[in-house]
Parts: sequence; structure tokens; C-alpha cells
Amino acid sequence: MKVKLSVETTEPIEHVPLGALYGVHRAELLRFLIARTGDRAEAEDLVQDLWLKASRGSSGPMANGRAYLFRMAQNLIVDRARERQRRMRRERLWIDGDAPLAGSSEERIDPSRDAESAMIDREERARLSQAIEMVPDGARRVFDLHKLKGLSHAEVAARLGISHSGVEKHMAVAMKYLRRALAD
Amino acid sequence: MSALDQGGDHVFEQALAWHRALSREDADWDGYIAWLDENPAHRTAFDEIALLDRMIDDHAPSLPSIEPAEVSQPAAPHRRKMWWFGGSIAAALAVAAVVPTLIRTPADIVYDTNGKSRTVTFADNTQVTLAPRSTLVVKAGDQTRLQVAAGEAYFSVPHIKGRTLSIRAADYEVRDIGTRFSINLAPEFLTVAVAEGNVSVRPDTGGTAELGAGKQLIADRGRRLARIAPVTTNDVASWRQGRLVYANAPLAVVAADLARYTGDRVTIDPRLRERRFSGVLAIANGAGMFSDLAELMSISSRRSDAGVRFMPLGKY
Repeated sequence: MKVKLSVETTEPIEHVPLGALYGVHRAELLRFLIARTGDRAEAEDLVQDLWLKASRGSSGPMANGRAYLFRMAQNLIVDRARERQRRMRRERLWIDGDAPLAGSSEERIDPSRDAESAMIDREERARLSQAIEMVPDGARRVFDLHKLKGLSHAEVAARLGISHSGVEKHMAVAMKYLRRALAD
Repeated sequence: MSALDQGGDHVFEQALAWHRALSREDADWDGYIAWLDENPAHRTAFDEIALLDRMIDDHAPSLPSIEPAEVSQPAAPHRRKMWWFGGSIAAALAVAAVVPTLIRTPADIVYDTNGKSRTVTFADNTQVTLAPRSTLVVKAGDQTRLQVAAGEAYFSVPHIKGRTLSIRAADYEVRDIGTRFSINLAPEFLTVAVAEGNVSVRPDTGGTAELGAGKQLIADRGRRLARIAPVTTNDVASWRQGRLVYANAPLAVVAADLARYTGDRVTIDPRLRERRFSGVLAIANGAGMFSDLAELMSISSRRSDAGVRFMPLGKY
């Protein structure tokens, strides 16, 4: 394969204050958040939260400010969902007092946030490892390279000698298995 | 819990495809919003995937992997290791000048640095400054045939008639007859930046790029693509002055540099693969550079037993 060499001028990077970006895209952002959460009140709350983060944050190198804000919003939604998920697990840990997942007795008598959080981490990790073991071999190999080793889809395809869509299919299989195995 | 059971696998697959598509810089956010609006089940499916994906990312560094991590640098056989103990150029000069005469069969001479950069001066006054945790090989003891086997090196090569210096770096050969330039070899990228004069960069697969002063070549080793972009000549190998200066550098290049300067293992979330960085990091900040970079790029850096991982904005 020939190496392509292209001469390109690096454009100056936009350093736009996030706060300014936010002002331009606020309406769109709200529209997006309503579609994404299906809940107007939560969307308003998220927009407010984003505004705080945006006005506090520094400027960053941004090729596409709108996409950047959308992505930030998307992450915030997942953050919140993840917190809810962990809170639910924590409550459950309290209810099943003698669940076998409590590691050492020290953690049981000292239910500080850190110890609890470590407990949830351990439990989650165990469930996840078990679930990953259920994934069929081909899909598991792809999942391993992409999600655990951080290779891009293209690199996984090259490494395993399979097509790009093959990688996507394997990833879909892996995610389906994981979802099923982890469903409460 | 799952509204998917009605929609079935089809919705789940669509949601997966969107989840993946949105990680691209040029994602179609309007198309995505339209898809969300079509059916509330779409939102639920997407939520499930996003949450699962985040859970995997949170645990990825500590999850057992089925394959050993890739080793990027093949070790040359019969290497002779050389360490610098004194810091002086004179000492390095003496070592470099004496060693080739002592060995009968020409062996590779390997210069490794630990946490500090070092300068070696060859008999022809070629000076090579090796950045921390970098490796330079003098092939068969021949000082005109060098190899950057890991990390970064800055070359100051006097022009000598009839002498061409050849430097190998992974699948590329850099040829030079007298200039100042740097070569940075990261696991995924090769960067050659020229401060003065001209060098040619030739991939093993064919084709040659001529680089003049103020130009840098950044080659994506996996994709076999290279691009040439301007660089401020003062910023070439600015790590010698304690600063890491980047202009539109792939995040993987910055991460590899930080790994060398801090000694930490550094990984990047796949969603950040296409991100580039322009800015300056102060080497004196040490491990503080992780948060400096995270702040500048509005991403997050998380430390665990497995090292430091850069993630999209997650925990604030």
C-alpha cells in the first residue's frame, strides 16, 4: 500500500469561550435535551447545569462548538443516569445487609461513602466480568480489543483480518449479550 | 425495566449504530434528534446502551483481558545496553568515541534514558539529545546509521560533504545531510519536525516526503497516512526547555509523551481517538500535566491501578 502524503495547512484553532457558545446554541440545546430525556423539567435542569459548567470551563480547541455542547450534554445525561444506577445499588446493598459481596468486615462497620463506593465497584466489576465471559468467542475478541484495549474499529478489523462491518456486527452481538446478562 | 422487549433487537441495533455514529466529529446530531422523536422506545434503548457503555469504560482498566497487551517495539538481538551515569557531554563523548573501537564484531549500541534527557555527541560532532524514556540505537556501531527505537530524539547534524545520516524509526527512514530536527516515535504515530535545513522521510512502503524548516510530518502508522503541517521552528523539541508545545497534535501523541515524562501507563478512551490538541504543557508540573491537558481539552483524566485514562467529559 502506498503512503499518501498530503500537504495541508493547519488552520488556526478556535478558542471560543464555552459560555459564548452556550449562548448561541441554548435553544437548540434545550430542544435536544427534551428529545433526549423526554422530560421538559429535567431538560431545563440539565441546560442550567450545562450553563454552569460552560461558564466555569475554560475555552478548548473546538472544531465544532455545537457538536461539542451536544456531546457535553450527552455525557451529563449519562453521568446522572450512572449516579442514579449506583444510588439504587447502594440502597440495595443496605437492604440485603448480609449480601456476600461485602468484602471485609471493616467495610461493613464503616459504611463511609468511599467504602460503599468501593463495594459497589467490586460488585459491578464482578458482574461485568461474568457477563463478558458469556459473550461468544468471536464477538468477545472484538469487544476485548475495542473496549478493553482501546483499539479503533479500523485497527480491530486490520488486526483480526475482518471487515469493518464484521467488527460492528461482533460489537453488536457483544453488547446484546452484556445487556441481557446484566439486566436486573 | 426495558421498553426494548417490545421493539426487539431492531431498535437496540439502531441505538447501537447511533451510539457509535455520535462518537464521530462530524456526527449527524439533527438526524439523531429526529430518530429520538420517532418513538420513546428509541430513547430508552439509547439510555441502556449509553449506561452499559459507561459502566464498561469505568471498569475497562481493571477488567481481565483475553489478550496480552501489544508490545510495539521489537527488541534487536545482541543489544549492548549503555546507560549514562554522568551527565556531562564530555563523558558521553568519551564513551561514544571509545566504544566502537573496543568491540570486534560490530554490535548495535543502545542508548536508553530513564526519567532524564541526555545528550550524546558523536565523533563527527553530530549531537543527539534523547528525551526521557527514549531509546537510540547506533546500528552495528556505525554512527551514520541510527535508529530511534522509542520516544523522542532531537538531532543537530553538522553538514559534512559526502556523508548522509540515516535514521530509522519504525517503518520510516529519515535521511539528512546536515540540519536540526526531531523525531518522535509514539505507538501509533511518527512525528518528524524540522527546525533548520531539510530532511527526507521515506516510508518503507514507498514515496518520499521532503521536509524543510518549519514543517512537520505526522504519520499515522496504522493507517499509513501522513500529513505535513507547519510548525514553529522554536517549538521543535521545546521539551529541552521544559515545555511540550503542540499544534494540532493527535491526542495519542500527547498521551505517549506524557507516559514518557511521568512514567505512567496512559490510555485513551476510543471516543477520543480523533481529538487533537494545540497548546503548551509545562513538564515541571509532572503528573499535574494530566489534569492540565484534561482541563485544556475539556476531557477528563482518571487514575487507577492500571494507569491514567483519558475519557470524554464524565465526572466533573
